[in-house]
Amino acid sequence: MVSLLWALAGIALIAIMWELTKVVGTLISLPFNASDQAMPHIWTMMSAFTLPEVRGSDTTVFQAVLAAATYSLMLALGGFVIGVSVGLLLAVIMQRFLFFERGLLPFVIASQTVPLIALAPLIVGIGNQISFGPVQWSTTYSVMFIAAYLAFFPLSIGALRGLQAPNATSLELMRSYAASNNNVLWKLRFPSSIPYLVPALKVSAAASVVGTVVAEISTGVRGGIGRLMVEYARETTSQPAKVYVAVFGAIVLGLAVAAAITAVDVLLTRNLPKKGLA
Amino acid sequence: MNSKLSYVWPPILIAALFLGAWQLLVVIQDLKPFLLPAPSLIATEFSNGAMLMWSAAFYTGTTAFLGLLFGTVAGLFMALLAQRFITVDKLVAPLAAGLATVPIIALTPILNNMFNITSRTPRVLVTAIIVLFPIFVNVTRGLMQVNPVQLELMRSLNAAPRTTLRVLRIPNAIPFFFTGLKIAAPLAVIAALVAEYFGGPQQGLGSRIASAAANTAYGRAWAYVLAAIIMGLIFYLTIIAIEKCVTPRTTKTVKTT
Amino acid sequence: MTSGPNHAAKTGSALAISNVSKVFNKGNSNEVTALSDVNLDVHTGEFISLIGPSGCGKSTLLRVIGDLTGFDSGSVQVSGKSPADARRERLYGIAFQQAALFDWRSVSKNIELPLELAGWDKSRREARSAELLDMVQLSEFGTHRPWELSGGMQQRVAIARSLAVDPPLLLMDEPFGALDEMTRERMQNELLRIRQETGKTIVFVTHSIPEAVYLSNRVVVMSPRPGRITAEISVDLGERNELTRESDHFFHSVTAVREALRLHDTSGSNMSAHRGDI
Repeated sequence: MVSLLWALAGIALIAIMWELTKVVGTLISLPFNASDQAMPHIWTMMSAFTLPEVRGSDTTVFQAVLAAATYSLMLALGGFVIGVSVGLLLAVIMQRFLFFERGLLPFVIASQTVPLIALAPLIVGIGNQISFGPVQWSTTYSVMFIAAYLAFFPLSIGALRGLQAPNATSLELMRSYAASNNNVLWKLRFPSSIPYLVPALKVSAAASVVGTVVAEISTGVRGGIGRLMVEYARETTSQPAKVYVAVFGAIVLGLAVAAAITAVDVLLTRNLPKKGLA
Repeated sequence: MNSKLSYVWPPILIAALFLGAWQLLVVIQDLKPFLLPAPSLIATEFSNGAMLMWSAAFYTGTTAFLGLLFGTVAGLFMALLAQRFITVDKLVAPLAAGLATVPIIALTPILNNMFNITSRTPRVLVTAIIVLFPIFVNVTRGLMQVNPVQLELMRSLNAAPRTTLRVLRIPNAIPFFFTGLKIAAPLAVIAALVAEYFGGPQQGLGSRIASAAANTAYGRAWAYVLAAIIMGLIFYLTIIAIEKCVTPRTTKTVKTT
Repeated sequence: MTSGPNHAAKTGSALAISNVSKVFNKGNSNEVTALSDVNLDVHTGEFISLIGPSGCGKSTLLRVIGDLTGFDSGSVQVSGKSPADARRERLYGIAFQQAALFDWRSVSKNIELPLELAGWDKSRREARSAELLDMVQLSEFGTHRPWELSGGMQQRVAIARSLAVDPPLLLMDEPFGALDEMTRERMQNELLRIRQETGKTIVFVTHSIPEAVYLSNRVVVMSPRPGRITAEISVDLGERNELTRESDHFFHSVTAVREALRLHDTSGSNMSAHRGDI
């Protein structure tokens, strides 16, 4: 609760510095453009929420941004679920078989150096050729694929560490009970991994959102907030504040996802001792 | 020697199997390059266009490097402030946590308007902002998460805050710094790449990938992708090399999420 | 009076260890002979302590009995079966120095763990868990979490858990080592009471001479480099009370064990009468 207040204070501080910069910009020559076109006043941004999206249209900018953010949220969620499932599966395989840990882990890590988002146009190109029977791959699936790709890595690393977390005594205990590998996995390793999974879920969720929005931009998919940002950015000469509303929308989307994961965190760890994990 | 080898052959084996299967798939299914180019095609394009690739990679790499540099310096500075003045930490920390979920790259159009779109400044700036947060979060943690017993020792020695900072907090924070740097470096490369999609000078890798794809020269596009991967790896491995030099072998590398 | 379930097997052999040897890192520069030609016979219902300095092999021997580690030569029979069979048939329960309770399970559910793995159904498990909690006098703590309990209480839960499937044999590896002296003495009395109620055979590893003497029928003294049994000292303290630890018999037995340990102490750390420079 208190940190929320501090966050609001931080935001207020940024708003103040923004306006201050504009004031300074009228007095001295700054190395960047501080005009009302490049840097609209905060109140202009606020009023842009209620502007009609397109001249004569019924939907306000706010409604358009909300719809787009929701659309992106759905894509991000789909990517997140796929990424988390793949990540968990990989972690279980890597924990169980040393060969796969040694063989796959370097690639799992290296996968993150692949700028998949930069590959987005290529993914779309390949994707549009694929069809699973009656289901045609559309660009939205490519966006979800990219989001999943970015989400699986933090989760597989976190899950692997968590699955390997139980100490020697607990493992000896399970051996003394003649427990099978499956038993050890479900009754010991998975529960022990929760403190490691939760931070990883947060990172994965963030990655899904970022991946979705950026993939939307680079693939040109319609309906999402990424596309909206690019569209509004083109109107900066006439309506400079609209793009800010879109950016705020993307920010709120990210924050909403973070809050959701925190709720999951509280749910999963409410019965565990309150110790921190550095 | 035996144990080192056992770490090396599994990934090599899997890589070989993967590449082999890929090549086989393309040949057997007679896949056209616009669907999935064969590894052999990519390799050819890569060696043919080496000069162009190098200059494009150099361009994007410079953007990434500058962004990484400024972001790291800014992050370090803010971390020192945050440790010294608890107010700064209280203000910035929730923002840093919140912004982790936000596509910061989305600021690029705004920065393109504020700064000269024809220069690399907006791209370097957005990269720097993206780099700043992992560095800030990790270094702050490293400066503050000191063993309380060690702090008591410094107090018993009547050490001034600046001395404690120099003698205790900063050395303690070094592994945390590298953790943050290892996260930030690949991010910087990707940010520099993606920022090129928002308009501006087109001689970087990102622009080239997009234009090659638009011209259906998919073999070439994948070759540029390979160049981007290599660049990302070079950044990452450089950081690891620096870390190995700076950190004595007795220090445990701290793993943080 | 003992009216435990193992009445019929009262005079049988619980453990027959014959010429057992075990070497770690054979052939390497850090090769160590953990056990060398160890012979030990334990009758049903006996309380045996294994005592000795670090490296004497007492914990290794315990783990050999429990099939938690292998051995290179000789034979081990647990209730007439191989250690592997004994483990698979759940013929022993084990308790370690770390209680190793699962934080995500309640106290009752922790005790139920071996029963779940043994395939007991829910109602039987819950009944048995309640019975055991009662035996260790922790009935009100069934729904608590392990981290809400003190160290001594956690160990009582661990002991209750080791009794879950009612095995004839209990293996204990310094279970009271992490507790303070007062709690330790209380726990020793608890253990003796439980033993009297259930008639179990107990093999108990410790490095405390008074503890070994207070609890056992026989104290088995071991020595390192190579790990071997150097003495077996019978102890017959009869009915224990508050004065037992102050009795002559207790003192003589402790002295006997101490001297047996000193005889084979190769570390040179004992202080003999003519070292006046300290």
